[in-house]
Amino acid sequence: MKDLTIRLDALDPQAGAALRVITYFDDLLAHNAGIQAIVRAAAVLSAGPAALVDEARQVRLRVDEAGRLGEPAAAPDPAWPSVPVGSGGGLLWLEQSGPPRPVDAMVLERAAAAAAAVLDRTRGRRDSVPYDQASTEILLDPASPREARTAALRRLRLPETAQVRAVARADGKALVQLVSAAPDPSARAGVGPAGGVADLPASWAAARLALRLTAEGTPDDPGPRIVHADQSGALMVLAAAVGPATPPIADVVALEHAVRSAPWMAATLDAVATSASVRSAAAALRVHHSTLQERIAHAGRLLGWSVDDPAGRLRLHLALVLRRLHRAASAM
Amino acid sequence: MTTTAPDPTAPDPAAALAATAATLVGPPPPFDPELAAALRIINEVIPPGGFSLDAIDAVRQGAALENPSDEALARGGAFVIEERAVPGPAGAPDISLLICRPAGTTTPTAALYHIHGGGMILGTNRTGLNEFLLDMAQELTLTLVSVEYRLAPETPHPGPVEDCYAGLMWTAEHADELGIDPERIVVAGGSAGGGLAAAVALMARDRGGPALYGQMLICPMIDDRNDTPSSIQMAGLGVWDRAANESGWTALLGDARGTDGVSPYAAPARAVDLSGLPPAFIDVGSAETFRDEDVAYATRIWQAGGRAELHVWPGGFHGFDGLAPHTVISQDAKVARLAWLRRLLSQSG
Repeated sequence: MKDLTIRLDALDPQAGAALRVITYFDDLLAHNAGIQAIVRAAAVLSAGPAALVDEARQVRLRVDEAGRLGEPAAAPDPAWPSVPVGSGGGLLWLEQSGPPRPVDAMVLERAAAAAAAVLDRTRGRRDSVPYDQASTEILLDPASPREARTAALRRLRLPETAQVRAVARADGKALVQLVSAAPDPSARAGVGPAGGVADLPASWAAARLALRLTAEGTPDDPGPRIVHADQSGALMVLAAAVGPATPPIADVVALEHAVRSAPWMAATLDAVATSASVRSAAAALRVHHSTLQERIAHAGRLLGWSVDDPAGRLRLHLALVLRRLHRAASAM
Repeated sequence: MTTTAPDPTAPDPAAALAATAATLVGPPPPFDPELAAALRIINEVIPPGGFSLDAIDAVRQGAALENPSDEALARGGAFVIEERAVPGPAGAPDISLLICRPAGTTTPTAALYHIHGGGMILGTNRTGLNEFLLDMAQELTLTLVSVEYRLAPETPHPGPVEDCYAGLMWTAEHADELGIDPERIVVAGGSAGGGLAAAVALMARDRGGPALYGQMLICPMIDDRNDTPSSIQMAGLGVWDRAANESGWTALLGDARGTDGVSPYAAPARAVDLSGLPPAFIDVGSAETFRDEDVAYATRIWQAGGRAELHVWPGGFHGFDGLAPHTVISQDAKVARLAWLRRLLSQSG
């Protein structure tokens, strides 16, 4: 029986290509196949070389149509069909430069799904960089020597080519995150701009400023818990200019006075400053529209300026940001 | 000549073993992940139970049996290909030897005397001359001689094995003419071909035939009793299960299959004496019918004081390396064979 030759590729006109491709990858997953087996299946089913590169997970595999393992090209030919793998910037491609074949799309789709599942199982969710305070600080410090940075990257399992950003958390932790990773939505943090590993010190400086623009997100301290530096524009200039020792301007003193006058005041003013309309602010605060109108009029009297028009709302918004910056000094 | 010595007073040992095995075996060992995925496709062409003997003609014509052309075998001039009719066993027709000799060699080469597989019922001297055998012959500068033997059920035992032996005798006697070193002939075969190769090695020992340099037995089919734990455990699964094996042995032996009088030249596992054999290489999958008979054969060679190298590939079904050559385990199995043969041949310089 061993001298028979059976075509395993999905180009065999005798084969139901879709069924063959789907069941092949399903069988591999059901038997806990490794990542190499997934790439090999893509090569065998498409009868040509296949490759997977996922720098964040340190995967670089190429398998030819005979199943032999090799090193992938530095970058795939743009003409080759390819598909992203997972959310971490991985790419799977088939080295097929002829006219498009339906089987290639099928193989890529199933192989990418299988590869993402296997990588999650075998290499962990490498969207997160392991927490290592000492190594992280070396990467964030512009004065760190090159060798120390290289060693820190290795300890954090980050490739030299990783796209990353620094995150400054309110609890004092400094983090390096892959660009592909979603930030922890619960942790109060400033997020620095994305870039290469060499840009981390600058990203870190921006993340710390952005952190000062964050709030607890409570009725007493309303505002965003996560602030991205690269989405904050001129507020970053304000954050850089106003430090712990800066004396509060009259608007901030008036704002503090107003906030102390009623438990609903801080949240109400924040909603008015950041909502598109009074109606949407009322919805966010879960109060009736007419109730909010009365509160806005009351607040205007306490503040000394009307918040019923765009200029008044901008003045209010800036006063709220300044209040956060003054408060941040004690907490951070 | 060595035969078993049946004890007429003993209970039927085969039935007793089968009963014991049936109660002791666990579930089938899992297939290797890559092999499992390929097996589904393979089973569409080769069901675990093999082929009905009624359909044998259609299967023999089937496209899955590949007969490489002379041109393909020559590999762009690396080999000189010759098909040669030589005398068969006494009173039987001539047999055909396919000879692939490395081009440009001036000194005698070692030779691989190849016996194809196919369950005793399928195949030609070209089937099974796969890329791997040609790679190995090219890398180690070997002459390949592949014998065309008559198939069961048209030709029952001893026709097939006597054809194989006659071809070996002729090859050894004409070694000079073929440019072969007669001291360095290795018999090789897979599946039924592995069983025939093991039988030919026994015959050469018993009849004072050519002194073989080695025997490469790839998942060999050697036990007509078909009642080992692995044969029971793998029933209905993989490739060439217990039912298929029964068909093959019945084609070769008819009603004598599984009875006491079966010759070790038909079923080498029947041999009582496994001493004085050439060094053996045996490989087999852990998830196939032949696992236990092949492991036992290697064990018995060691117990008899002989040399054997045994590889049991975890999760391998029968013939996995040929049917799913792309998998890592198939690649590793071939590396092990090549390494053994290279080591063996290097011992003679």
